[in-house]
Amino acid sequence: MTYVAPNQDPFKAIADPNRRRMLDLMLQDARTVGSLAEALGISQPATSQHMQVLRLAGLVDERVEGRRTFYSVRAAELRTISDWIAKYEAFWTDKLDALEAHLARMKN
Amino acid sequence: MKDILIRRTLGFPRTMVWEALTTSHHLAAWLMPNDFRPVLHHSFTFRTAPAPGFDGIVQCNVLEITPPARLKISWKGGALDTIVTFELEEKGGETQLTLSHAGFEGLSNMIPRVALGLGWKDLLAKKLPTYLRTNQSK
Repeated sequence: MTYVAPNQDPFKAIADPNRRRMLDLMLQDARTVGSLAEALGISQPATSQHMQVLRLAGLVDERVEGRRTFYSVRAAELRTISDWIAKYEAFWTDKLDALEAHLARMKN
Repeated sequence: MKDILIRRTLGFPRTMVWEALTTSHHLAAWLMPNDFRPVLHHSFTFRTAPAPGFDGIVQCNVLEITPPARLKISWKGGALDTIVTFELEEKGGETQLTLSHAGFEGLSNMIPRVALGLGWKDLLAKKLPTYLRTNQSK
């Protein structure tokens, strides 16, 4: 099992819908680039490029079996993303507090 | 799929809450600086401080505007391509506001399965006050 040290922002890595779909597929099963390309209906070179972004973001593990490389999702990096959504909830709670305060000012 | 759902009763008339939600300078006061206009399909931005993976600009479009009951806007920023909906209901002179932030798509699908040892609801129960709850049903 090899692991590429993350040096790219995971948020940018998941901004692309094809890469999100790849992560979803790899969560179900370890996949080769070829099988992902087929599932997504895009070319192998394009899928390889997306995979490179995911690898650099530290979002995937790779396992070599003979001539084939299987990729799967690394859970630890996704935690930062889930933390980020939790922050969004805190954001809205704060903003609705601000809305209430603002409504009180509008009334006066 | 709804990812964030917050319901709150505001002790103000519905028309007033609607004004606060649909007037650019009011939105700037409680939410973020913006160039919102209460016009269907109007594209606008909210601007805030940049953060990792986010340049601080939220690209929005007015998807639905039904005075004084419902405002639905697209909300794109950072990794997000989502939809925010405000719904207002009159309740005996007060206003029940329901905020939904939906469309976390692939992200939220993978999170409960792999990223969180504790469940999504547990996370919220620890972090958020009682008037906040999630709806992860489809």
